[in-house]
Amino acid sequence: MFFRNKAAVAGLFLLLGVILMTFLGPYFYDEDPKDIVARPLKGPGTEDVPGLGTDYLGRDVLAGVVNGGLTSLRVAAIAAALIVMIGVTIGAVSGFYGGVIDNALMRFTEVFQVLPALLFAMVVVALFGPSPWKVSIAIGLVLWPQLARLTRAEFLRLKNMEFVKAAQAIGSSDLRIIMRVILPNALPPLIVATTLVMGGAILLEAGLAFLGLGDANEVSWGLMIGQNRTNFITSWWTVTFPGLAIFVTVLSFSLIGDGLQDAFNPKLRGR
Amino acid sequence: MVPEIETEASSPILEVRNLTVTFGSFTAVDGISFSLHEGQTLAVVGESGSGKSVTALSIMRLVELGTRGRIESGEILFRGANGEVTDLVQESEDAMRQVRGNQISMIFQEPLTSLNPVYTVGDQVAEAVMLHQRLGRREAKGRALEMMRQVRIPDPDQRMGQYPHEMSGGMRQRVMIAMALSCDPRVLIADEPTTALDVTIQAQILGLMRDLQRTRSAAVMIITHDMGVVAEVADQVVVMNQGQVVEAGSVFDIFEDPKEPYTRALLAAVPRLGSMAGRSDPAPFDLVAP
Repeated sequence: MFFRNKAAVAGLFLLLGVILMTFLGPYFYDEDPKDIVARPLKGPGTEDVPGLGTDYLGRDVLAGVVNGGLTSLRVAAIAAALIVMIGVTIGAVSGFYGGVIDNALMRFTEVFQVLPALLFAMVVVALFGPSPWKVSIAIGLVLWPQLARLTRAEFLRLKNMEFVKAAQAIGSSDLRIIMRVILPNALPPLIVATTLVMGGAILLEAGLAFLGLGDANEVSWGLMIGQNRTNFITSWWTVTFPGLAIFVTVLSFSLIGDGLQDAFNPKLRGR
Repeated sequence: MVPEIETEASSPILEVRNLTVTFGSFTAVDGISFSLHEGQTLAVVGESGSGKSVTALSIMRLVELGTRGRIESGEILFRGANGEVTDLVQESEDAMRQVRGNQISMIFQEPLTSLNPVYTVGDQVAEAVMLHQRLGRREAKGRALEMMRQVRIPDPDQRMGQYPHEMSGGMRQRVMIAMALSCDPRVLIADEPTTALDVTIQAQILGLMRDLQRTRSAAVMIITHDMGVVAEVADQVVVMNQGQVVEAGSVFDIFEDPKEPYTRALLAAVPRLGSMAGRSDPAPFDLVAP
C-alpha cells in the first residue's frame, strides 16, 4: 500500500538520500567544514572556490552541508526515542486506568503542552548547556505531549473492546494487557505520529542552533544559517543550501508519515 | 433430553448468595442467589438489561475493571479443585488472576470482536495456556493445536497461523471455546455464546459445548435470552428480570409448569412448535403478556 503512494516513495528516497549524504558523504567529499579554504563570501562558480561557495569566514559551504546532517539526524533520533518513551508510557497509563490517574497525568501533560515549544527548549538548553545530548533531551521534553495525547486516545478507544475483556478473562495482568494486547493495536497511528514528530524535532534542533543554542563546535545546518544570516542578502548561497537540506529532510519525514497513514488506514485506501 | 445424573447431594461448585452489584446509583443486580453443581448446565435467562451479563462479569470479578461497577454485598463461593471453598468477592486481584481462565473461564457474545486482531489464533490459544501452565512456547503451541482439534476446527495446523479476520464467526467462537477450555477450568461461563451466530452454527456450537462439558465434567453457566437454547442445553434455569431472580428450577419445571407470570410471558414470546401450521405468513405477536 505504502509503495503505491508516489509522494511517500519520493519521501523515502529523499530521506535515503539525506542519510547516504550524511553517513557516506564525508568519505567522498573529504573536506573539513571548519577549515578556511578560500576567500570569504565567494559564490558558487567563482574560480578556486569549492562547489557551493564559501561563507563569511571562507569556509566550504558544501562541506558544511555534507557534515551538518549528522547533528540533526542524531538529535532527531534521540529526541524521538525519548518522546516515544515518555509519551507512550504516560498516555498508556492514563488511558488504561482512567479516573484520578488519568486526570492527574493529563493536567501534568498540559503543563508541558501550554509552554511555547521553542521557548521552553531554549530555557532548558540555556540552563543545562548545549551538548547534543542535552539538546535532544530538551526537544524530547517539549514534544512528548503530542504522543501522550494520541496514545491516551487510542487506549481509551481500545480498552473497552471485547478482546481486552477476553484477555482479562483468561487472567492476563494489567501490564500484559497494556503492552501485549492494546499497544500493538494502537501502533499504526503512533508510528505515523513518531515519523511526523521526527520532522518537528529536526526543525526545532535547527531553530535552536540558529539561535546559537546548539553546540558551536559541531557543524549543523541550523548553525550555518544562524552564523551567515547577516550576509543573506548579498551572499544567498551561505544560507540557501543548508536551508534546503533542512527543508528536504523535514519534507521527507512528512511525506513518509502521510504515506504510512494512508497505508495503515483502510478508509483512505484507493484515494 | 435425558436428564443428567442428579447431583443435588453434592455441594455446589459455585454458589452465589445475595449478590448485589451497582453502577453508581443504579442497581444492576439486586440480591440474587443461585448455585451451580459439577457437570451441570445452568441457564440464566432474561431480557436485555436484566443483569445477566453483569452477574457473569461479577463472578469473574471483571465488573470492577474498566467499568464503574461495584459489588456492594453478597458472596460468591467457589469450591476449588482441592475442595477448599473461597469467597471470590473477598479475593485479591492477584488471586483472581489465577482463577480467571484457569478455574473459571468465560466466552463472550461477539466472536467477531473478542479475539485480538493483531495475533494469529494459534498464538492467542497458546497465550491462554502459557498464562497458567508452566509450559514453553513450543509445548503451549502443541497444547493449542490439541485444543483446536478438540473444538473441531478443520485443518487445525493451517488454521493456527491464521488471523481472526480470516475466519468465520462460527470458527472464531470455536477458537474462543478452545481458549476458554485450554486450562481445563472447573466452571465455564458463556455469555450469549450463540447470539451472534446463525441457527445452524448455533446448533453446532451448542452441541460442541455439551460434548466438551461431558468429557470434562465441568459446570457450565450459560447466559441467553433464547428459550430454544435453554431447552436444548440447560439442566437448571434461573429467570432474571430487573436484577432479581424471578424464578428458578429445573428445566422441566420451568417449561412444563412456570409459576411466575414473567416466566410465562417469556415462554410465550417463542412460538410453539406447530402453532404456525397452516399459515403462509408470519403470525403477529401479542405484545401484552397473557
